[in-house]
Amino acid sequence: MKYRIVHETRYSSAEPISVGHNEAWLTPRTTGTQRCLDHHLEIEPTPSMFSSRVDYFGNLMSQFVFNQGYHTMSVKSVSEVELSPAPDLDETGPAWEEVRESVLAHQTSEDLEAYEYCFESPRCRLTPEFGEYCRESFPPGRPIVEGLRDLMERFFEDFENDPNATNVSTPVDQVFRQRRGVCQDFAHMMISMVRSWGLAARYVSGYLRTYPPPGKPRLVGADASHAWLSVYCGPLGWVDLDPTNNLLPNLEHVTIGWGRDYGDVAPVKGVYIGGSSPRLSVSVDMAVVEE
Amino acid sequence: MSTLTQTDGFVSVTRSAPGHVYDEAYDREGKPRAAWGKFLESLKQVSNSELTHRSEQAELQLLENGVTFNVFQEGEQLQRPWRLDLLPVIVGADEWSSVTDGLRQRARLLDLVVRDCYHERRMIREGVLPPEVLFANPGFIRAFVGLNSQGPAITSYAAELARGANGEWRVMADRAEAPAGAAFALENRIVASRTLPGVLHDKHVERLAPFFLEVQNSLKRLAGRQTENPRIVLLSPGAAYPYYFEDVYLARYLGYTLVEGADLAVRDDRVFLKTLAGLLPIDVIVSRGVERWLDPLELGGSEPHGVPGLLRVIREGKVKVANRPGSGLIESPIFMAFLPQLCRQLLGEEMLLSSIPTWWCGDGEHFDYVKEHLKELVIKPAFQASGNDEIIGMRLGAAGKQELLERIASAPHQYVAQELIARSAVPVYHDGRVKTGHMAVRTFAVATENDYSVMPGGLVRVAATADPMVLSISAGEGSKDLWVLAKEEVQPVSLLAAEGTPVPLRRTSAVFPSRVADDLFWFGQSLDRADFLCRLLRAVIDRLSTESANEVTELPSLIRALADQGQIEPAFAIDAFSPQMPNFTDELPRMISNPDETRGLVAAISELHRLASLERLWMSPDTFRQVRATAAVFLSSAENGWTSIVDVSEAVNHLILELAAISGLVHDGMVRGPAWRVLDFGRRVERARDTISLLKSTFSEQQNIARPVLKALLEVIDCRMTYRSRYLDNLQQNAVLDLCITDETCPRSIAFQIAMLVEHVDALPSETASLLRSEEKRAVMAASHLVRMISAEQLEERPAEEVANTLVNLDVHLKSLSEIVTRKYLLHSGVPRQITSELELTQ
Repeated sequence: MKYRIVHETRYSSAEPISVGHNEAWLTPRTTGTQRCLDHHLEIEPTPSMFSSRVDYFGNLMSQFVFNQGYHTMSVKSVSEVELSPAPDLDETGPAWEEVRESVLAHQTSEDLEAYEYCFESPRCRLTPEFGEYCRESFPPGRPIVEGLRDLMERFFEDFENDPNATNVSTPVDQVFRQRRGVCQDFAHMMISMVRSWGLAARYVSGYLRTYPPPGKPRLVGADASHAWLSVYCGPLGWVDLDPTNNLLPNLEHVTIGWGRDYGDVAPVKGVYIGGSSPRLSVSVDMAVVEE
Repeated sequence: MSTLTQTDGFVSVTRSAPGHVYDEAYDREGKPRAAWGKFLESLKQVSNSELTHRSEQAELQLLENGVTFNVFQEGEQLQRPWRLDLLPVIVGADEWSSVTDGLRQRARLLDLVVRDCYHERRMIREGVLPPEVLFANPGFIRAFVGLNSQGPAITSYAAELARGANGEWRVMADRAEAPAGAAFALENRIVASRTLPGVLHDKHVERLAPFFLEVQNSLKRLAGRQTENPRIVLLSPGAAYPYYFEDVYLARYLGYTLVEGADLAVRDDRVFLKTLAGLLPIDVIVSRGVERWLDPLELGGSEPHGVPGLLRVIREGKVKVANRPGSGLIESPIFMAFLPQLCRQLLGEEMLLSSIPTWWCGDGEHFDYVKEHLKELVIKPAFQASGNDEIIGMRLGAAGKQELLERIASAPHQYVAQELIARSAVPVYHDGRVKTGHMAVRTFAVATENDYSVMPGGLVRVAATADPMVLSISAGEGSKDLWVLAKEEVQPVSLLAAEGTPVPLRRTSAVFPSRVADDLFWFGQSLDRADFLCRLLRAVIDRLSTESANEVTELPSLIRALADQGQIEPAFAIDAFSPQMPNFTDELPRMISNPDETRGLVAAISELHRLASLERLWMSPDTFRQVRATAAVFLSSAENGWTSIVDVSEAVNHLILELAAISGLVHDGMVRGPAWRVLDFGRRVERARDTISLLKSTFSEQQNIARPVLKALLEVIDCRMTYRSRYLDNLQQNAVLDLCITDETCPRSIAFQIAMLVEHVDALPSETASLLRSEEKRAVMAASHLVRMISAEQLEERPAEEVANTLVNLDVHLKSLSEIVTRKYLLHSGVPRQITSELELTQ
């Protein structure tokens, strides 16, 4: 399966911005099931400085600076990605306790690496209450993937998709109380639960293929960026879960990168000096190039 | 312990109850310790009255030098004075040399630990350190990983020491993020040596200056070999932060430019200092603030010492920051539980100087020990620099203990426990009495070529009890000097050039940051604005105070002027105001004392004081003192509330003289360099524009300007004497307007201000490449041209319509001149703000 993704972010300010420094996490990562065939950024105006590097979590990110003053900045990220089907998961795999204990003991480098994702991060909290939510899904000895599927199923039933309920800085405690939010909140929420239960979970930033309503043509640019989570399952490796859609990603999720939470992999962020509060507009288009 | 005995009025310190604490001055038999013998003997020759007198002198000196802590209380900023007890703490040469060995080893070790944690993480992979020291630690900042691995991470290190009952030194806390206190130690030494009675001076006390030479060398070395004369700046979090005094002091003592984040800018792959003359590349930044705010781009936040893009430049090796971001990690007390093993692994040595015994509750065995011995322990967060949030096990009841253990059990890795130490006792001279205090000593080390060098001295703080002490250097009841005795007489060394050293002549200071220029510009504006408002208010109040105020014909014009200036509510400016007169008189005190009136007198004086505090480095100490005193008197009188215009009149009359004193100090005391120029620029623009506004308020459309109004004009612009000496009492519009507008010899006239502005603009640094006149030159020349083209006839016209039009145009040019200059030379900067993209939901 091959996709071409065009993701455009535009900031405009009524007053000219004198200096702007930006960071972007927009380059799709190559993983076991994903190959990034091509990626480039088209930035307007031409930045005074542009550089790329691999971040702490292994994602390729870019920095660019404007020194000359501008009203509008736009970043167009064009990617071509090839996905292969997710391998069959051994759903009878290790019991969740086994995974939890081996991560806690972190004797292998994989376990040690996973251990980093067991703790609080700026947007994911650990509380006994969140842990308690998981209990029902993890009776003793249950295979970990089965437990996670069950947890996601319950989560999907309990939490309602509501774009007006939250904003980019709504804390998970509030999401937990109101049981509403968007994909990003759900990723943070379920990560917080899984970590509170003692397992390792990370935040994944990416895109999701969408389908037009039956009989309607696909609208260009109507897609959006997406977020989900990935849980460490010991010998099974990292298993992605999309609680917004209650499914295990397969051939329709394109991964940009991952971190502890949104703050580590925000698609575009920056600081600016001068100007008025910029207005943001984002458009994403994910087109199938080859079925 | 030591207690007071006053024999024959002389100071005497003796040992009293031995108890469970170590006495610094006396041994168990009550004999003076060797290091203290000579001092205690000499002290017997000092009378109580003399020591009291000397203590007062020391206090006064510290106050005058401005040694204060900013202490925030309920949102209000108070400055608490620094207190120094003249009796030093004395340590012998041999004992100090072993402390020094221990500190050097510890600094080397901690440097290796920081570098390992932010680079290879061998200690974690080999199981010497638990991964929680990073993963669970909010102080571990992932953006610092792999920043750069050359040279020491920790350039400057401080350790907080205490001495337990058996006399052994223990490290209570490590400081490496931006260790504070060295300059306080130096200032204590300087003030104490000036004020200590002569008999107490000892030529065998190690000096502190050589340590600061090492600091300079260390920072210079950091810049690398390719830079002959590295440019080093000291990056301060600003005047609102508690150690600002020390930032100012160190910058001055070490000879570095003091900057804030807004003074620095990243361009391409370097960091530059923005100055009036352009951008200067920076080689080394001494960071005095919190490391996690250093780069708002990568780390978030918008603190005053943040520089967007800084981390990238560090990564590329084009600037060095001391201490390297990440060094603050080892301040987490959790490391103390693992230092002995780390020392064996990384240095192959045993620790020479032990930490206070520490247990990490994340380790099962350690936690068991903590449960058993809670009574003897202090519990604190594992990942916060120690000093806050400490729980003393001994003080808890059974229920409290249970609750605490449950809290720990819910997240054991978040806690450490440390042994409770009874701090050693020292004699403290306070309010004319010798009392017993318990001490904490902050010691300092700086990186040398392959090791560390330790300051032979330190900052001693004393508290009334032997309990754990808050470890911030502002805590405690007072401070002391630490004397380290040398085996031989010590030769004086100073960072200040030896007397008689020839210096090349210079006429300017090396670097003049744009931010300072900006502040001084506004200082000049506020100074003249305050002066002008005072004179205008005085003219109004004098007239309101007459019995028949309703008949004073010039009052409406003057009140309109006050409203145009933004000092009073515009409603009062309507012409037919006479019925409201009593109301206005009653309301005036309230309106003038209103701090929210942004164009008012109180705001101008507050601003004057704020800017002077920020930029006191750039003005004479007398100027700063005068501003501070003036503001204190006026603002407190305004705050206490004036009940009638008589009170206002008194305050305003007094203020006029005080402001004149400030002007005089600025005028006579400031070198005619860039600092004076921007300050004066601000004054001239303000004075010209205020005078224009005053004239516009008094011009009426149909008639000539009435004689009483002309008189009031002369009064407000302070030209009555000049006028009388020229024209006696014959008040004529043309002669008055000439003095106000066109007479270039009159220092209050608009023409005079503009002539000065022309001079200032000429002196601004400019791009010499351009053949055409710069925009600021064109603006000031347009203003100059306009004022010179006013003819004698125009001044005589009734009404003076042409003049009024010219004034309007003049004001436009002056306003744009002011904007051009602030934009081009002063405010390159602003507060960086954050933006992030928001995710939208995939439907």
